Amino acid sequence: MESSEGTGGLSGEIEVEAYRRLFPLPFYERHLLESVRPDARPLNRARDTTIALGPVASADGSALVKIGDTTMLAAIKLEVMTPSTDAPDEGSLAIEFQMPPICSPSVRPGRPAEVASVISKQLSDVMMSSEMINLKELSLISGKAAWMAYLDIYCLSADGCLFDAALLSAIAAFSHLQIPLVSVNDDGRVIAVFGELPEAKLKLELVNKEKRKLSLGSKPFSLTCILHEEYILADPNAEEESIMDTFVTVVLDSLGQLVSIYKPGGAALANMSTIKACIALTKSRVKELNNILSESLSEMEVD
Amino acid sequence: MEYVNPLTGFRLDGRRPNEMRQIRGEIGVVAKADGSALFEMGNTKVIAAVYGPREVRNKGQQINNQALVRCEYGMANFSTGDRRRKPKGDRRSTEISLVIRQTMEACILTHLMPHSQIDIFVQVLQADGGTRSACINAATLALADAGIPMRDIVTSCSAGYLCSTPLLDLNYVEDSAGGPDVTVGILAKMDKVTLLQMDAKLPMDIFENVMQLAIEGCKAVAHYIREVLLEHTKQLECHRGA
Repeated sequence: MESSEGTGGLSGEIEVEAYRRLFPLPFYERHLLESVRPDARPLNRARDTTIALGPVASADGSALVKIGDTTMLAAIKLEVMTPSTDAPDEGSLAIEFQMPPICSPSVRPGRPAEVASVISKQLSDVMMSSEMINLKELSLISGKAAWMAYLDIYCLSADGCLFDAALLSAIAAFSHLQIPLVSVNDDGRVIAVFGELPEAKLKLELVNKEKRKLSLGSKPFSLTCILHEEYILADPNAEEESIMDTFVTVVLDSLGQLVSIYKPGGAALANMSTIKACIALTKSRVKELNNILSESLSEMEVD
Repeated sequence: MEYVNPLTGFRLDGRRPNEMRQIRGEIGVVAKADGSALFEMGNTKVIAAVYGPREVRNKGQQINNQALVRCEYGMANFSTGDRRRKPKGDRRSTEISLVIRQTMEACILTHLMPHSQIDIFVQVLQADGGTRSACINAATLALADAGIPMRDIVTSCSAGYLCSTPLLDLNYVEDSAGGPDVTVGILAKMDKVTLLQMDAKLPMDIFENVMQLAIEGCKAVAHYIREVLLEHTKQLECHRGA
C-alpha cells in the first residue's frame, strides 16, 4: 500500500500496526484467506534454518541452530563415571533444556518458564525412543567406567517452534561429538587424556586409540504445525503461537518412521486427514533438515 | 610458571604485556529483546539482552521518581572447563550481578523514566577470564541498541601483575595464577571511574601503573564500541532510507 505522500504512508503503516496489535486474529485471517502469512511465507513453508557446528570450543560436541529468529545453542560434555549395576556396559545421557531470561520478554529471572520443563521432558523422551544413540557405545570398561554425556541446550532467542530447534540442535551436537581419549592412571581411575602424553606415563593401554565419533542410528527430526479452523500453518513464530493455541508436533526419523506425535489439547480438534496432512508436511521438512545437516557436517570435514 | 617469557617478553598466548585480546561486538542478536549484543574478548563470549523500560513487575519495588534497574548474570553449564552444577544463584553470580547493576545504574539517566523497570540480562557462553568486563561492555552495547538514555558509554577492562610486569586483559590461566587482578570500569568521554575492584596484595606505586594500564584498555574498548555503534546506525539509516 504505497502512498505518494510520505506522511500518508507512515500513518497508514501505524494503522496497520495498531490493527495487528488490537485484533490479531482477524488480521491473520485476512492473510490466511489468500494462503499467505504476514511474513510472506506460504502456509506450508518453514523459516530459513541454519546449523553451525562446533561454536563452543571447550565442549566435546556443540551446535548452534537458528530457525528464523529462534536460536538454540547445544553443547555436550563427557565425564567418566561408574555405570549402574543393572546396566554395566552402558553409558548414560542427561539432557537439560534451559531458557535464560535473555531469550524472551516473558521469562522472568528466578522463575523458570513453564514451557522449558515441558520441552526438556519431550526431548528426553524423543531421544530415548528414537534409539539414535546406542548407550553401549558410551561404555569404556565394562562394569567399571562409562561415559556420562551431559547435553545442555540453551535457548538464546525464543521466536516460536522451540522444540523443533532444540531437537535439531541436540541431533547436530551429537553428530559433531568426538569422544576424547582416556587412559587409566595409578589409582585405577579412568581419566581423560588431553594432547600428547609420553609413553612412559601410560600404565595401561589407551582404552580407545583415537578420537572417535558416535555411530548414530536414524536421526529424528520434527515439525510443529498450528491448526486454526481448516488451515494448517507450518513452523509458527511466537506471534502466531500466541494467538492460535492448537499445535501438533510430529517427529519422524530419517527412514520415514514415526517417532512421536504430540497434540496437547487446544481449541481446534484434528481429524485423521489433518494429522495425515501434518505428517506429510513433516516428511518434506525431514528431507530438508537432513540435507542441511549433512551439508554442515561435510563442510566441517573439509576443514 | 613463566607467565612472561624473560627473553622475548611474550605471554603464554603470544601477546605483549600491554596488548589486549581480540575484541568483537555485534548488535541485535536476540530478536525479541529491546536491545541485545554479543561481545567477545578473546575466548570469552557473552550475550547481553535488555528489556525495558517496561512496567514494574513487583509493585512493591517501584520507585516513583526514577527507573528500577535489575540485572542478572548467568553462566552456561558448558562455559568453563569443567561442567558447572549451579549456573545461577551461587555467590559469585550474585556478586557479579550486583556489580554490573550498580555500574550500569550509574550511567543510565533513570530520572527520565519513572515508574518503570529496565532489565539487563547477561549470559556467559564461554568463559576465559575477564567475564566481568566482557559483561559490562556487552551491557553497554545492548543498552545503546535499546535506545535507553545514558550519560556516557561504560567500558571495562582488567589488568594484573605477574613476573614483575603489569599485564593487560588477563585470560583464565593468568587470572588463576594467584597474582593481583584489577578490574576497572570507566565512563569513556567523561573520564571517570565507576567500577574498581582488586584482590590480592599490591604495593601502592605498582597499583597506580596497573590501574593506568587498565584505564587505557578501557579507552581502547570504548573506541571500538563507538565504531560498532556508528556502523550499526549507518545500517539503520540505510534501511530506513530505502
